[in-house]
Amino acid sequence: MKQLVSLQVNGERHELYVPVHKTLLEVLREELGLTGTKHGCELGECGACTVLVDGEPILSCLTLPVEVQGRDITTVEGLASQGVPHPLQVAFAELNAAQCGYCTPGMLMSAKALLDRTPDPSPDEVREALAGNLCRCTGYVKIVEAVRLAARRQQGDLGTVVDEIERALNEGVVREPGA
Amino acid sequence: MKGFEYYAPETLDAAVEILARYGEGAYPVAGGTDLIPKMRYGHVAPQAVVNLKRIPGLNRITSLENGGLHVGALVTLTQLSREALVRERYPVVAHIAGKMASAQVRNLATVGGNLCNAAPSADLAPPLIALDAEALIVGPEGERRVPLEHFFTGPGATVLGPGELLTAVLLPPPQPHTRAMYIKHAHREALDIAIVGVAALVRLAPGTATCQGARIVLGAVAPTPIRAREAEALLEGAPLTEEHIAEAGRLAAQAARPIDDVRGSAWYRRKMVDVLTRRAIAGTRGEGGDLT
Amino acid sequence: MPTNGYDDRKNRTNLGSHLKRETSVIGRPLMKVDAMSKVTGQALYADDIHLPRMAYARMLPSTQPHARIVRVDTSKAEALPGVLAVITGRDLPIKYGILPVSQDETALAVDKVRFVGEPVAAVAAVDEETAERALELIEVEYEPLKPIMSIEEALEETEVRIQEYGHAGNIHKMVSLQFGDVEAGFAEADYVREDLFFYQGNNHLAMEEHSAVAHYSPDGKLTLWSSTQTPHYVHRALAKVLELPPSRIRVIACHPGGGFGGKSDPFHHEICAAKLAMLTGRPVKITLTREEVFYAHRGRHPVLMWVKTGVKKTGEITAMHFRSMLDGGAYGSYGVATTYYTGALQTVTYKIPRYKFEGLRVFTNKPPCGPKRGHGTPQPRFALEVHFDKICEHMGWDPAEWRQRQACEPFSLTANYLRITTIGLRECIEKVVEASGFKEKFRQLPYGRGVGLACSAYLSGANLPIYWNDMPHSGAMVKVDRGGGVTVYCGSTDIGQGSNSVLAYVVAEVLGVRPHDVAVVTADTDLTPVDLGSYSSRVTVMTGNAAIEAAQKVRDLLFRAAADELGAAPEQLEAAGGRIFRRDDPGVGLPFAKVAQLAEARFGTLAAVGSFTPPKTPGRYKGAGVGPSPSYSYTACVVEVDVDPETGWVRVPKVWIAHDIGRAINPILVEGQAEGSVYMGLGEALMEEQVFRRNLHKIPSMLDYKSPTFLETPDIETILVETNDPHGPFGAKEAGQGPLLPVPPALCNAIYDAVGVRIDELPVTPDKILKALERKAKGQEPRVGPDRMPDVEWSEPIYVEPPDLEHDPSLVPATGSS
Repeated sequence: MKQLVSLQVNGERHELYVPVHKTLLEVLREELGLTGTKHGCELGECGACTVLVDGEPILSCLTLPVEVQGRDITTVEGLASQGVPHPLQVAFAELNAAQCGYCTPGMLMSAKALLDRTPDPSPDEVREALAGNLCRCTGYVKIVEAVRLAARRQQGDLGTVVDEIERALNEGVVREPGA
Repeated sequence: MKGFEYYAPETLDAAVEILARYGEGAYPVAGGTDLIPKMRYGHVAPQAVVNLKRIPGLNRITSLENGGLHVGALVTLTQLSREALVRERYPVVAHIAGKMASAQVRNLATVGGNLCNAAPSADLAPPLIALDAEALIVGPEGERRVPLEHFFTGPGATVLGPGELLTAVLLPPPQPHTRAMYIKHAHREALDIAIVGVAALVRLAPGTATCQGARIVLGAVAPTPIRAREAEALLEGAPLTEEHIAEAGRLAAQAARPIDDVRGSAWYRRKMVDVLTRRAIAGTRGEGGDLT
Repeated sequence: MPTNGYDDRKNRTNLGSHLKRETSVIGRPLMKVDAMSKVTGQALYADDIHLPRMAYARMLPSTQPHARIVRVDTSKAEALPGVLAVITGRDLPIKYGILPVSQDETALAVDKVRFVGEPVAAVAAVDEETAERALELIEVEYEPLKPIMSIEEALEETEVRIQEYGHAGNIHKMVSLQFGDVEAGFAEADYVREDLFFYQGNNHLAMEEHSAVAHYSPDGKLTLWSSTQTPHYVHRALAKVLELPPSRIRVIACHPGGGFGGKSDPFHHEICAAKLAMLTGRPVKITLTREEVFYAHRGRHPVLMWVKTGVKKTGEITAMHFRSMLDGGAYGSYGVATTYYTGALQTVTYKIPRYKFEGLRVFTNKPPCGPKRGHGTPQPRFALEVHFDKICEHMGWDPAEWRQRQACEPFSLTANYLRITTIGLRECIEKVVEASGFKEKFRQLPYGRGVGLACSAYLSGANLPIYWNDMPHSGAMVKVDRGGGVTVYCGSTDIGQGSNSVLAYVVAEVLGVRPHDVAVVTADTDLTPVDLGSYSSRVTVMTGNAAIEAAQKVRDLLFRAAADELGAAPEQLEAAGGRIFRRDDPGVGLPFAKVAQLAEARFGTLAAVGSFTPPKTPGRYKGAGVGPSPSYSYTACVVEVDVDPETGWVRVPKVWIAHDIGRAINPILVEGQAEGSVYMGLGEALMEEQVFRRNLHKIPSMLDYKSPTFLETPDIETILVETNDPHGPFGAKEAGQGPLLPVPPALCNAIYDAVGVRIDELPVTPDKILKALERKAKGQEPRVGPDRMPDVEWSEPIYVEPPDLEHDPSLVPATGSS
């Protein structure tokens, strides 16, 4: 059974005729080419497929597209704005919070939802909010640091993000005490 | 995942009609967090999937005239954990709802789904049973109420008949001088299923340490969540002394009928029923932890 | 006391010719060169590839643990609309395997299946669902054979054999080595102790499920994109099994979404995707499900161990005898090497003058085990460090001081002929003890809380290749563009550890350009010189050295071209800050791009290659190939625990880890490796296990295979110790695996400190602690662990006299730059 589905993804509207049993994850990756969202377990246990629906993190592998018609879906591809990366993305890159990078898109989406509600989270608040995202590379240490660095940057005066990236690539990242 | 017919009825009657029509081939879906993995692994292959989310009202929490709460079956765990009415009146429920699985799953998973999936380890069941909650069921024959304690009939099985739907959980008004606590043991603090879960509810005689009423409900140690009635009886009318609490733990462990499985041994589960029962009862005395 | 007489070599810092000045890139906490692509979702993983007309393939798993295949009927599947091709074992009969001595795998089972989940047939179809429906239509008739599911059963059963080769019966490999007269050593000891340990098997659980996409072009060339750590070995296996010339096969390793050793073998799905692409003329993708990943496995071997050590009252070890039994699963994989590794590195941490090792690996009807982070060494290290903790306890020694006193000496040779260069172990212990407050806490914390210490060593790459050859292990090529851009080409695979960035850093350092101006091309067998792969912690040392050599050759050309212009000899020039200038007068110089143009005009296209071949190893006995390395990294770790004695729950509030990295090329990347290792070590110690029940994998899903979340992972304090190893690029040693090793034993030692029970079997689950506490309460031995080793007739050991350094100058370690 196929069904016409209308999805609003990263601000763009898509009309799709898809089998009703395809998950949102499959539709994002295979129909829309948004392969930034990953899969790791097929049963909602790893968090790699996390996307935002109306700003709240959900698992796209457990969601049928028909159920999220008309709602705002955000994937990792929609985090940057006009080509300028989100402070979370820059902080993750700087602090080596992405090693193999496979869990990173889902991790970023959970972190985005957290910062939108809790602009300056404590380390424990970060851990609680991201506990549904597994990472096998980092031991989570640098991820907690990166979320907090991004939080502080979001609140302060950043300079341009592009400068941050250039500096981090060539001179070294800023490692603030107590991060 | 195999294909299926998909329905998104907008009234309860329509949902009941579709469910009755397909019988065992129809599966209602709310959050999908249990059903979709089962379908993907081929454990179930529904002919029809009936999405309940378009039915108005099922996702609401409303105050009842008697001071109790009506919690719609499609209320998500996130809603349940954040809703002020729940946090004020039944903090034990709000607290566990905010700890289950993960933030992403809690945004999808629903109260009705957690209960209808009928896993012996379902975290909402022990505290809700301890609170004497009732299941509100609608079906071809109309509406009926079943105490949640009698809702479960086995692993994955409930009293729901063909075409019947759980539409809400009804919570009686909070009792004075009553506190409850739910303690769960799992391998992990997130993304995990209880190896043992124990809910204790204790009503004290005003101004005393004497127990007037108690509920001890055990999860994951029998085919369904069960009450440890002997432990409850022991506590009722008795002062909450260390000795009584210890005896209640022992009786609860006796009541448990745990099995060896992937997640834990029967031996260990029984031990944990004893310890967690004691801790949960002690917890209701305000010695730390999370209280109702 | 030093045993080797080379004390004068202590504390030397020889940075080789790589480093004549302050570094401007090396040592800085730089962002990885590919970091932005990963955080924006642009990095390409194998399953992200989508080619026009691509078909999808699935493989049919065996339902039997051990059975003869009587009949496979694919006719119904072939008739299903949308099915493009169906293959079975008969279509790919040529055997392969990662090790030349274990060529025992076929892409699909031919006559026999050896574990539940082993692929029997594969289908390519227009979409995944059609392929799955086709699998259901394939009929397989099995004749069941007796399943063999444990080490004990494998040793008892000699009639029914899982494989038709190996040592005997179901013993795949037996090793027996003796270095010196261990019995004499035990006789002169004041205390001799024996202990038994078991380390359960576990899976890598890389977040990405393996995936491969194959494309066969009309001109007969095959391209395979794969989530592999070892494109070179996949290249070789494809050529062998598909009978294609290597020149017509191109293997490209995409970003693997985590490896940890789990993507280092050539796999069924890679070969099937290639074959199906050849048969259909369409690109074919196979992505494993999580369940299939548990069947592909190659994870940590379950190992049963026995160790006996003699010590003097003064602390010296007089002799050690170590036995290991590995549960290998159904196929060889890396298992022969793993077996040796369970006995090889015992000697490189503390001085052990006489040493005997007996090890064996059995075949069982389970998914094959292979290399996981630490490859065969975390198991014996767990045994050893708990065993030593017990010895220290018995003798009343401070475990930190004893370890410091017994640590191996720098630039020494071990009893089994492993050549140690730099060793920062003493400093690691000192740092970690100080940071954790170990001295104030050990045996002094309240009941339920404890601290434990353990140490370890690991190799920075194996000195011998997997297949015998005299060629380099790593090659790199550096090309300079006339615009000033630099490109480095290397066969290595960045599995997230940052090896692409390391290439950029070392080349940028040598050429004096910015890392961001270096383009990195890796892991493509058509484009890049061979590197053996991302395993055995070899990449930084080997590719780093190769890239340095290539960059230096190019720099020589640049210096020669600039010399005339700058009025100085080439040797007097320096490259830094995007310029080439006079060392004696830094103001006199030229921009890098300008010099590149001068050099290209004079010498032609600017490019050069470099290679790295590890140093020759002095061991001359059979089995001497496993263990030698250009250098060893060292780690010390303190774990603090809270143990709830009523429930057995263990919480780890903090872990301190100090790692001798030689030199940190990028400290933030090294920390990442240490933190990830601590996390993974704790996962193995506390919850991860690959277990079977009734011949079936108990838990082939992420729901029931438990790995730690954010909430179980402690604070981790990482301390880097630098020893500047002469064999390392800019002095670097490994970081990716070694820091995992001391974590499980440190945890178990901490649990003993907390509640006085020994858990000699991993993982340490709450029920084991509770059982041990019950035993303690009853006055029994407060321990849970194995109580016996099965009886086995061990082979007569190969006897090797330990090195006689006084009288054999040829054993003097070669040092200096490689």
